[in-house]
Amino acid sequence: MKRTIALLLFIIILYPVVTMASERLPKPEKLTLKNGLTVYYLKNPELPLVSFRVLIPGAGSAFEPEGYDGLANLTATLLLKGTRTMTAEQIAEALDFMGARLRVSDAEEYAVAYGESLAEHLPRLLQIAADCLASPAFKEDEYKKELSRKADTLKSLKDNPGSALRLYFRKAYFGDHPFGHLSSGTESSLKKMSLEEIKKFFAARYRPDLAIMAVVGDIDRKPLLDLLNKTVGKWPKPATPPPALTIPPVPAPRGQKLLFIDKPDATQSYFSLGAIGFPVKDAIAARASLMNTLWGGRFTSWLNTELRIKRGLTYGASSGFQSWKEGGIFTASSYTKNDKIGEMLDITFDLLKKAREQGFSEEEAESARNYLLGQFPQTLETNSSKANAYLRVVYYGLGFDYYDKYLDEINTIKAADLKAAAVKLLPEKDFVLVVVGKGEEVRQILSKYGQFQEKKITDPDF
Amino acid sequence: MPRKLFLFILGIVVMTAVLQASFTKKDIKVHQLANGLKIIFFEDHKIPSISYYTFFRVGSRNERPGLTGVSHFIEHMMFNGTKKFGPGEFDRVMEFYGGANNAYTSDDMTAYTDWFPPHALEKMVEMEADRMQGLIFDPEVFESERGVIASERRMGVENNNEAILQENVRATAIMAHPYHWDVIGWMSDILSWRRDEVIEYYRTYYAPNNAVLVVVGDFDSQKTLELIKKYYSGIPAQTPPPPVTTEEPPQMGRKEVVIKKEAQTPSFMVVYHAPRCQDPDFFVLSVLEKPLLSGESSRLYRRLVRDEQLAISVYGGVEEKIDPYLFSISVKPRPGVDLDRIEKIIDEELNKIIEQGITEQEYQKALNIVRSDFYYSLQTNSGKANLLGASELLFGSYENLFTIVDRYSRVKREDIPVVAKKYFHELNKTVGKLIPQGGN
Repeated sequence: MKRTIALLLFIIILYPVVTMASERLPKPEKLTLKNGLTVYYLKNPELPLVSFRVLIPGAGSAFEPEGYDGLANLTATLLLKGTRTMTAEQIAEALDFMGARLRVSDAEEYAVAYGESLAEHLPRLLQIAADCLASPAFKEDEYKKELSRKADTLKSLKDNPGSALRLYFRKAYFGDHPFGHLSSGTESSLKKMSLEEIKKFFAARYRPDLAIMAVVGDIDRKPLLDLLNKTVGKWPKPATPPPALTIPPVPAPRGQKLLFIDKPDATQSYFSLGAIGFPVKDAIAARASLMNTLWGGRFTSWLNTELRIKRGLTYGASSGFQSWKEGGIFTASSYTKNDKIGEMLDITFDLLKKAREQGFSEEEAESARNYLLGQFPQTLETNSSKANAYLRVVYYGLGFDYYDKYLDEINTIKAADLKAAAVKLLPEKDFVLVVVGKGEEVRQILSKYGQFQEKKITDPDF
Repeated sequence: MPRKLFLFILGIVVMTAVLQASFTKKDIKVHQLANGLKIIFFEDHKIPSISYYTFFRVGSRNERPGLTGVSHFIEHMMFNGTKKFGPGEFDRVMEFYGGANNAYTSDDMTAYTDWFPPHALEKMVEMEADRMQGLIFDPEVFESERGVIASERRMGVENNNEAILQENVRATAIMAHPYHWDVIGWMSDILSWRRDEVIEYYRTYYAPNNAVLVVVGDFDSQKTLELIKKYYSGIPAQTPPPPVTTEEPPQMGRKEVVIKKEAQTPSFMVVYHAPRCQDPDFFVLSVLEKPLLSGESSRLYRRLVRDEQLAISVYGGVEEKIDPYLFSISVKPRPGVDLDRIEKIIDEELNKIIEQGITEQEYQKALNIVRSDFYYSLQTNSGKANLLGASELLFGSYENLFTIVDRYSRVKREDIPVVAKKYFHELNKTVGKLIPQGGN
């Protein structure tokens, strides 16, 4: 009885929150620099900080030449290891001296340069960032250091079953598709790597005419524009035409691909199950996100409830969708003691079936809606998360009202929609399953799920 | 994932020379209920969200052999049922109202961190008050949660070489004080905690007079205080917990711990006993750690990673703790390198600081890093709540957040070699090595 009253009140109170839609992502101002670089800007004077991001389409790992896993990542790393005017030490010293942050990282589709500092240090930080983007030195000795550090990092990744699993899974799921390239590199790709290839990749792909930038923080429009024109605005546009940015569609598994990695010292087994998802702009995105919230996307999700809360099999179990322009994937992952991996997989398969066959209740749908709406404001709380949202919206062509529309749609989704999304997206027969664990204890248990291909963790590559 | 075991590194956070008007001491409102519950409010209406943080003055520091890890276990059990809200209900109701949470346990404290939309406030106040005294410790749920913790330990320590080494080094360096064991506790204790002992521990430490509540975000202080009074006033104060009296005796010689384990890469660590966070020397060491360890321009990064290429990474420094803890230097060596060579380089670099101190440029850099890190951590409601609470528990008052800059500015460049000499010597040192067996 009390519960019903609480629910009614809740709906009434929620209403004004929902109508505040326009506050979700403040619309940025668009600035265009002399070299054609487009910058999205929002002033936020709350703290004396400024954050910026530059997204470079086509400079991500998917665009590496075949067999050169880790090239995009090495390129991004080497940008900060010396320019025509500064050595690697000078760059590190200047950044650390300001307490500033500057990183360049690679995703599948693009690379991102990310910077943040006290507002008073922004001029110097932008100057360094522009120098790194426009004229990195790519010195042989820095390259050799980074390459050998990367090879050793790869070994330490294989020492940790959780991080090893992510790499094996990516290769197993994507195979020869460009999204199968590993940022970490592989033993073979790092042997093959060359500075010439890196320079070629950089020259073709880091360019202001494709890049998008966002700046959020405590700085006025006029001084910012001057500053940008003096720094990233001087990043020269190459004479060559922009490279093609096409990527083949994300592959869908047909039947079951099963892979087991023997790690004899593992005291737990780790699994990842993957299936085809959907592209960023797919109309199913909001429904899928809500469905996943209930199935494996939050603490009280079905998956975490059954594996952790009820049975204590694991510290955590979760699922999620990851989407790109070209498509996406669904993954579910967890880990448990070696001898419990069978029980864990059985429950996971049962829950997938249950969602497809029975769907979710209206009360669950309501809970998931409230959860997504209630948790949304924090996701855009910082300068850096706003800058990131602007780039995402522009890169994927979503429109600045994307979050408003998305959340408004969330509000209308019913249980029947969630069941339909589960039927469409949760795998039944077509999936990739990768397990890392101790072979001696796990091999027998896994045999009932079909024929696993087996590798040793110490074998080179993935 | 929620409820992470969390090494509480505030990151030397705390500096405030030019704190902006949007976050000042006068905007903080403080109350205390008759039962001793201390309440700290900071209203901020930028986003429709509230961060509601409850800090208890209990952590692995308060444990004893046989009960190691129990503070962290209770953190988990706090989600597993009271008379009013059955097992799992806290999360279910909170998520239904649009809220999410996490929690962490450190050596010194246990914190419950909730974020939710404003309309969920009364329900969250009700549920937080309820679980401060109302846990039932259902025997079946108790056993299931024991399994979760065992899994957490297997994942976080046993399948993580750095964590295994850290646990061993800590236990070797600290022999008497309860910082001897890690927050997660020993596996044999995890497998044998008794329900009655756990309940006794909970009663002792989960009392309003042993807690601080910090609320930051989109709420009205007056109305919220009324809600808090309504739900918390009936909770009786308890006899204050016994103080932790064990002191770590001075170390009298270099210690070393060697682990041999299947691995592809070795691990390496050096620690020195360091002062408690309220000691003036602590601030000197915090400044010193920046030029030594912070960023790629730091002395140890340059020597070990860049120049001699003996390591993939190096990090460390002091941690803010109630009692004296450790200054640590963790190195991820490259496979096959001579670990004694790494130790020798660390010695050399520390000796340079003892003999010559740090440069003016390095000193300014340290202060810049302190100041910018402080602002980075103030960007969110949760960041503010966390700093206010940690400041209250570790430094004695939330007000330190607004004045501690004076303590930093009191660190003089000349203090650095003097303090370095006091702590960085052979008798005070413990070395840990994880050496790969097979698999290479």
